[in-house]
Amino acid sequence: MLSFDLHKRKLLTAFLLLLFAWSLFGVNWQEGVLHSSGLGTAMEIFAAMFQPDLSADIIRLAVHSSWITLAYATAGISLALILALVFGILASGVLAGGKGSRKMMKGFFRGVLGFMRAIHELVWAWLFVASFGLTPYAAVFALAIPYGGILGRIFADMINDVPEEPIQALRAAGASRLQCLFYGYLPSVKASMISYTMYRYECAVRSSAIMSFVGLGGLGYQIQLSLDDLHYDEVWTFMYFLILLIILIDGWSNMLRKRMAL
Amino acid sequence: MSEQNMIEVNSIEKRYERKIALSSLSFVVKKGELVALIGPSGAGKTTLLNLLASLLEPDSGELKVDGKPLSQYADRRQRARKIGLIRQQFDLVGQLAVIHNVLAGRLAEWSLLKSFASLFIPQEKDKAVDALKRVGLEDKLYERTSNLSGGEQQRVALARLLMQKPEVILADEPVASLDPARSEDILAMLTGLAKQENQTVVASLHSVEYARKYFTRLIALKNGDIFFDLPSHQVTEQQLQELYQLKELN
Repeated sequence: MLSFDLHKRKLLTAFLLLLFAWSLFGVNWQEGVLHSSGLGTAMEIFAAMFQPDLSADIIRLAVHSSWITLAYATAGISLALILALVFGILASGVLAGGKGSRKMMKGFFRGVLGFMRAIHELVWAWLFVASFGLTPYAAVFALAIPYGGILGRIFADMINDVPEEPIQALRAAGASRLQCLFYGYLPSVKASMISYTMYRYECAVRSSAIMSFVGLGGLGYQIQLSLDDLHYDEVWTFMYFLILLIILIDGWSNMLRKRMAL
Repeated sequence: MSEQNMIEVNSIEKRYERKIALSSLSFVVKKGELVALIGPSGAGKTTLLNLLASLLEPDSGELKVDGKPLSQYADRRQRARKIGLIRQQFDLVGQLAVIHNVLAGRLAEWSLLKSFASLFIPQEKDKAVDALKRVGLEDKLYERTSNLSGGEQQRVALARLLMQKPEVILADEPVASLDPARSEDILAMLTGLAKQENQTVVASLHSVEYARKYFTRLIALKNGDIFFDLPSHQVTEQQLQELYQLKELN
């Protein structure tokens, strides 16, 4: 049986390789693969990487845009953290009494979290811009909802993975479910919660930059404007600021982790 | 020692699938008795303790603590005042400071607000310090619990029991993961403190030597049944040999 299966798999591989080779004939090699001046543009962009525009105006603009991007991301992740704590704890089911109600609670709140994160932050941004207009709230809510969904789901899983023995011991000492949460579950997962939230904070900064393409201001918006004007040196200035933001948050996250490991 | 019946076990049965874990077991433990459950692995010691701690339900039979059926201790406060539990060392929340693990023994008596506030400003700190002094750990008050050694962690669990002050202490292999010196230390402390507070102790133990040294009464379980139930000084070598004999040799 095994040799036959192997044989079939080899046949499939050969077939797929032939298919790929055949598909190469369909490509028009004269035009269409690369933009006629594409290679030149790529070289220009690459060259600009080493000559970012460091004039005072651009730096001032970059600092201001970084600040906006960071502010959206920070507000968004803070709101997401609150949402995630509330929904994540509910979705873990540890507050429910009986087996039946625990199952129902888990099912319902995991569903809510799934809905929140099924829709990408960019789509949320469109929806909120359409309803609120170009306000900071649109950006903050657009970030908070999907990130709350992601964080909440992970928090719920972390809480469910806490070893059972210490919790049983707390119950035996007469602790209520909420007391078990504060004395058992949350202290056990606090460190991983913080470190995962910090990682998501990093992602939120990137998302916040991208989201500004929608027209909400920030680093992404400036990158788009400079790209449209073919000012690749400015593009790189803004990119370096974005990278700097990520590195700063990573450093902060490492500091927090070290302090908690004590 | 008073004659009050603290634990009454009346022909309880427990099976897992088709395997019988305990078959119609009956015994009575009086207040202040120090009882050790001994017997080979799989004899049903842990099952019996889990039934007493109401972590498991018996299939049939009746369990009474202080004259009341266990099922009537639905209120967690009442139950915590009556029955306390200590097991192997992974019973504590490692990420909490020692003092919070000790104060967890008071959770039954505390409101949610008070127990929450205590995580920031420890409440009833004097009592916790006192309990830790009695187990010789007063210098580790704010240490992270997971940084303590196995023996020290088990002493923290004892301090938590001191805060809880249950009338009955159930101990499931309390020294299984400790070296001989630490084991003796913990058992001496457990039985010593129980005597001071006139508490009743039921402990499962692997070591017959410790059981005879620290406990007043031995209940031997074999294949889910009571093999013998005697004061420690009356147990003979012959009986112990038969207790731990492998089935094939019979």
